[in-house]
Amino acid sequence: MAAERVLVPLSDTVTVRQTVAYAVQSGLETADSLECHLVIALPYDVDLPEGKRMSDGAEELLERAENWVEEDADGADVTIETAVLGTDEYLFGPRDYAEIFRAYADDHGIDRLVLDPEYSPGVTASMLQPLERELDRVGMSYDEAPVERAARHGRLVLSHTGFDRLFATFWISFGFYLVLGDPFYWFDLLTGAAVAGIVSVSLAHVTFSMPLDRVQSPLRAVRFVFYIPYLLWEIVKANIAVSAVILRPSMPIEPTLTRVNARVRSGLPLLALANSITLTPGTLTVRANDQQLLVHTLIPSAREDLFDGGLEKAIRFVFYGRESAAIPSPNERDDAEIVGGDEL
Amino acid sequence: MIEPIALQSTLETVRFWAIVLCLGLGVFFTLVSTVGVLRLPDIYARAHTASQTDTLGAGFALAGVALAFGWQHAAVYTVLLLFFVFITNPTAAHAIARSAAESDVEPVLAEEGEADDAEVAAETEGETR
Amino acid sequence: MTPVPLEDVFLAAAALFVVLAIVLFYRAVVGPTTQDRLLAVNVLGTNTVVILALLAAGLDQSWFLDVALIYALLNFLMSIAISKFTVDRGGVL
Repeated sequence: MAAERVLVPLSDTVTVRQTVAYAVQSGLETADSLECHLVIALPYDVDLPEGKRMSDGAEELLERAENWVEEDADGADVTIETAVLGTDEYLFGPRDYAEIFRAYADDHGIDRLVLDPEYSPGVTASMLQPLERELDRVGMSYDEAPVERAARHGRLVLSHTGFDRLFATFWISFGFYLVLGDPFYWFDLLTGAAVAGIVSVSLAHVTFSMPLDRVQSPLRAVRFVFYIPYLLWEIVKANIAVSAVILRPSMPIEPTLTRVNARVRSGLPLLALANSITLTPGTLTVRANDQQLLVHTLIPSAREDLFDGGLEKAIRFVFYGRESAAIPSPNERDDAEIVGGDEL
Repeated sequence: MIEPIALQSTLETVRFWAIVLCLGLGVFFTLVSTVGVLRLPDIYARAHTASQTDTLGAGFALAGVALAFGWQHAAVYTVLLLFFVFITNPTAAHAIARSAAESDVEPVLAEEGEADDAEVAAETEGETR
Repeated sequence: MTPVPLEDVFLAAAALFVVLAIVLFYRAVVGPTTQDRLLAVNVLGTNTVVILALLAAGLDQSWFLDVALIYALLNFLMSIAISKFTVDRGGVL
């Protein structure tokens, strides 16, 4: 009897252990020998500092998962294959993941995929639903592993990151209060401390969307200060160009809808990029999903600036540092296209 | 004795004209943006020029105000106000554009390759008049 | 010496902004879509913030800036709330 082959994409989640267990158990139910392919798909931003940690973590996770499979197999005939995917290509959204899984499955004659319900490659938010949709599209059959989810925010003990958040929120709100009030008046200092205390205790856990880093986070704030003059300069240039077009009696506008795949992470970096694009006259972000920006452009020169990706490079500089800023422009890497109105 | 007063008076004059320049530019860009909001053909195009008011229109006008207050607490306030406008307004513009997209407002798009300026302009004339 | 008092410059600029704000009412009334009106009102709101700041300088009442700050906040919230409201699912942001 042919061995059952199953593909298990892994990521570092609380449910990954149970997913592996389910894959092994369900595979052995239908056949007596199992070929278990454990794969880790690395997201596109492996060149970032966080990414390096991730690719090191990948090897470690694969080793751990191999041990789990052997443990669960309990002497049954199970062969294990491991692979790291996405090292030589850029993986973006769910579609890329679905396609790379499909390609791997075709290469190894696999017809079943076991999916971790919490599956989230890299640092982006959980992408289960879009991934399931894309897997359906490429015709890959999958199983969602039935797992018991642990409560995720159940920790009462103030952890290391918890303290950092509390600390940062307190000083940000205290600073804001003092800017509005008088920093040398004892009453304002006292009430400010009280208000900042209440704010940080009640809102610290929702204030930051990504984990704070004691070195990186202040560095980002400093780099953001350098970003502001650049943004202002871009805004002035774009303003003059758009004003010239609007004030011409013939008004030579050329509105187009474009799609740009931005190489910045969802969350704050994407927000900063989308807002910067909107703030520059001539380009307007209509939608932002999974790093895919739908941008309406008014004049050709604004569109060319957008496709040259100056703002994107600057945002990468702010959030990931100088080395990451030097990436090809969206135009060169084929991530920018003009789309019709029905894309809305 | 006369020197410091002369210097101060020159400084005052420079400051005065700097403020006038800032306010003039602010009014100019807001004017352009108002013209744009009235002339442009559809909601998406209008949202572009709305961001002109938010950026340079408000930016220059508030810079003039900050110059007038000088090294006072109120000047910090003005910068804060500008920062706040810069953060919130693109978000609002994005929300408006997205709500237009969700309620199926069709954008007016130029045909690829042959941008028919006259036609676009003619449409605008028809709509705003 | 300056040709006119600085205060008058600010008041004149504020008056110009008021005129532009009144012109914007055209778009707010005509529409045609809800979003057009909303956008016009949003720009009008930004104008109002600027007018308040100019008056603060022109009348030397720095507490007007507090009002301007609150108005900017309300303007933002209004735009978000109405955009959400015009979409059935409410999934704008």
